[in-house]
Amino acid sequence: MPAAVPTTSQDGARSGGGGSAAGGAGHTPRRAVLARRLAWVLAALGALALAALLSLALGSRSIAPAEVWHILLHGGDSNAAEVIRTMRVPRTLVGVMVGAALGLAGTVMQGITRNPIAEPGILGISQGASVGVVCAIAFAGVHSLSGYVWFAFAGTGIAAVAVYAIAARGRGGATPVKLALSGAAINALLVAVVSGILTTQAAAMDEFRFWQVGSLSDRDAEIAAQIWPFLLVGLVLVFAVARGLDALALGEDVAKGLGQSVATVRLVGGLGATVLTGAGVAAAGPIAFVGLAVPHIARALVGGDHRWLLPMAALLGPVVLLVSDVVGRLVMRPGEVPAGVMTALIGVPFLVALVRRRGVAA
Amino acid sequence: MSTVTRPAGYALARRGRGSWLVHKRAAGTVVVLALALFAAVVANLTLGESTVSPTEVVKVLFGQPSPDELVVGTLRMPRLVVGLMAGAALGVAGALIQTVARNPLASPEIIGVTHGASALTVGAMTFGVTSYAALPYLSVTGGLVAAALVYLFAWRGGLHATRFVLIGIGFSVALRSVTQLFLTKGDYLVAQQAKVWMTGSLNGRGWDQAGPLAIALVVMLPFVVWSAWAMRNVTLDDDTATALGVSLGRNRLLLVITGVVLASVATGAAGPIDFVALLAPQIARRVTRTAQIPLLSSALLGAFVVTLGDLLARKLFAPTELPVGVLTAAVGAPYLIWLIVRTSSGRTSRSRSGAAQ
Amino acid sequence: MSTSSSTPSAGSTPSPGDAAPSTSSTSRLAARGLTLAYEDRTVVEELDLAVPDGEITVVVGPNACGKSTMLRALGRLLKPRGGSVLLDGEELSRIPTRTIARSIGLLPQSPVAPEAITVADLVSRGRQPHQRWWQQWSEEDERAVTDAMERTDVTALGDRPVDELSGGQRQRVWIAMALAQETDLLLLDEPTTYLDIAHQVEVLDLVRQLNVDRGRTVVMVLHDLNQAARYADHLVAMKEGRLVARGRPGEIVDATLVREVFGLESVVVPCPVTGDPLVVPGPPRQSAAAGIPAPSGTLTSGKAPS
Repeated sequence: MPAAVPTTSQDGARSGGGGSAAGGAGHTPRRAVLARRLAWVLAALGALALAALLSLALGSRSIAPAEVWHILLHGGDSNAAEVIRTMRVPRTLVGVMVGAALGLAGTVMQGITRNPIAEPGILGISQGASVGVVCAIAFAGVHSLSGYVWFAFAGTGIAAVAVYAIAARGRGGATPVKLALSGAAINALLVAVVSGILTTQAAAMDEFRFWQVGSLSDRDAEIAAQIWPFLLVGLVLVFAVARGLDALALGEDVAKGLGQSVATVRLVGGLGATVLTGAGVAAAGPIAFVGLAVPHIARALVGGDHRWLLPMAALLGPVVLLVSDVVGRLVMRPGEVPAGVMTALIGVPFLVALVRRRGVAA
Repeated sequence: MSTVTRPAGYALARRGRGSWLVHKRAAGTVVVLALALFAAVVANLTLGESTVSPTEVVKVLFGQPSPDELVVGTLRMPRLVVGLMAGAALGVAGALIQTVARNPLASPEIIGVTHGASALTVGAMTFGVTSYAALPYLSVTGGLVAAALVYLFAWRGGLHATRFVLIGIGFSVALRSVTQLFLTKGDYLVAQQAKVWMTGSLNGRGWDQAGPLAIALVVMLPFVVWSAWAMRNVTLDDDTATALGVSLGRNRLLLVITGVVLASVATGAAGPIDFVALLAPQIARRVTRTAQIPLLSSALLGAFVVTLGDLLARKLFAPTELPVGVLTAAVGAPYLIWLIVRTSSGRTSRSRSGAAQ
Repeated sequence: MSTSSSTPSAGSTPSPGDAAPSTSSTSRLAARGLTLAYEDRTVVEELDLAVPDGEITVVVGPNACGKSTMLRALGRLLKPRGGSVLLDGEELSRIPTRTIARSIGLLPQSPVAPEAITVADLVSRGRQPHQRWWQQWSEEDERAVTDAMERTDVTALGDRPVDELSGGQRQRVWIAMALAQETDLLLLDEPTTYLDIAHQVEVLDLVRQLNVDRGRTVVMVLHDLNQAARYADHLVAMKEGRLVARGRPGEIVDATLVREVFGLESVVVPCPVTGDPLVVPGPPRQSAAAGIPAPSGTLTSGKAPS
């Protein structure tokens, strides 16, 4: 592999942080990096626990954390216990699952396409879910959140297959540029389909616009039960290609040289990302920001190694989503601002700060 | 004077001390596109609630007296002219922004223009401003301010392409959230009206929108001509371009400003017809096979897609009229898909490992 | 062991006499007290260097010693954290980048070609500093591009897309682009990367020829110490961001220098072809580990018979 030697020397000279470790090859820098990553993962775990607690405690009717704790451990049949058990626990659970799913899906899509702005939304995958839900409302007469789930899932799957099939045609297979472009084209097409149906069916529009924003409100245990098997499958698929994504980040040729089957990594990773997106979008609607920003925030904290990046994204996604959901419940009481709206408003300052602080690598 | 023809694929046009490189295949594409655009214009003016014969349409276009002058010239023409100009402006804007961002997914939407315009316009609608005299200017302002903020935040001793796109998309999503907030808070009628505006429509557009748009485009024309040349240099990687004496910062800033202004005025006139800016440059580039996006082809393609989209928008579900934004995507996306499937663009993946953007 | 010194001898003024022990007394391009850093990591510190006109200067040193970084600074790709780079006595940062591009040509380490660009098109981009948007092509451009393509033997590839070429062909195309710029000063960052040995020699011969025929001043970073010794008029050895030695290869390259710069035990003998110093590394380490006693006498003795 001719590229190997010059690449390392170039990294040493230009990449800043990582270079000193590579040059010195001593134990101290590596251990320091490990300690830093561990610290961030622990911090993210703590943040997740805190976010979950807040999500259980706060809302149009706030319950003291101590009481929440008591109810969780010992149950009870007060009003508060009822609220927590039937509403807030499922909602928080769905929030954790959706956040993790979207964070992971975005990370994998950015890795596969090597494009820093790739995410389920821009690649047309969540738009597939929208088409499914619009069809459910307009033609199948389905009007319940748990009814939407299967339609959203089907739409996601069809969109993903279409994007991949188009990109994989022709010489060179599913290259990053072709994947990104075919995703954008499919997205455009599906937006047209959705708008077309909505313009002709005004009644569907009123119902659809609430779903389209993306929200955790009224998500119950049934939805959580519907999506967890898919989440599990997606997790397994995505973590299976963590090493492959690392290799892919070095370029296709190097990845091949490292013994990775590029096509397999793309296919398995793509499948995992699709299943995760499907689960996330089906449960909460197309929440835009998580899939895009969480991978970048995670990368700024633990670096580009996917074995750290993926868990970090899986932890940070729920944090962002739950915090947004909680804030959304509080800012316009008694009404709620959907989580899909709050994620971006809360997350953007972090994204901007992190992107400005560090050199961003795709 | 001997024939001086180089580099390969280019012809040379000279006049006095000036000399210009013209990509041959791009020039051919321009001719074909111009013809296709003319056909689309005639078709657009021919078909409507009543059908006018194409010969009469051509007569009106060339200023000859015709019994159908009222229908064609007065009723259908103004809206078409807005569409043509908006489409061309978006085609160019998309090309410039994709070039600077070095990302085929970039478009005015990505760097905040569209969502800035939407947020301000929908916000104004929610608070009771519905006058069509004020709204276009509000959306132009919204687009410009949003893009300026993105540029400001992305600037840190230089404009790094990835940082620019990332911060742009962050702002875009946040602004879209604001818009959605307005939509869910506002009542059903405002939502419906805003939704129509947000998919982009030529319905009800006339000379009132065409005039300011035309003035803006004429003002921007010198910048666009300069951009066609400057884009050649910005397509190289940063080090090589700098080594060749290109002041990247200034070039990029001017290119972005040109693109943002064009996109903003087009959005102000016709609403966010987004996918034109995303699709037209990519289609143009794949057809002409040039190393950078060909601006004129991109502009013509943008105008063509909007003209055709507008025709379909009016006729497909007549008498219900669809927003043109919906149909431009429906026209452009399948063609781009076909191009991706057909062309053997496997070579893009062979760029060296350092090429990741 | 002649002119090697850990601290650069040049003071604040790079007066011609002490700047470079070379026949050329003038130097258009010079670095003065140059400090370079990425983010918070200093790569090059307080470096003084005068590039002798009309000669080939080769910079060598271990990986990450700052040699490429220094070259980037000489070509104004990197702003100095401290000190300055002077072109004709004027600070580089004060000269318009376009004006610099008419004097200094630079080939970066891993340039990236635009997608689908043809060879002739890419080479013609080298004419950029000599063009304006209303004067996009002149006969002078034509001549320079044709000449550059002939010299690098890529004329036959003219219509091929660059991304379909082999690594070696691609490298020659990039060099052609830098040549088409027709500058007096040429900075090359590892121009022999991606090339097999025959093409390496070809490229270096080409550089030498440009230097002899047209009096071009060349600064290049090379990895191969022997090639450096063979082609350099003026050799610069760097380590950890500092200048360790400079001078004619025959005067400064010896086992001590190789040990000091690369931490490698070696024997330096005269090249049987050119008589330039030839560095032969000591026996491989595993043989020593396997119990074969290393001939310690030859290894540690500094000078080879010359």
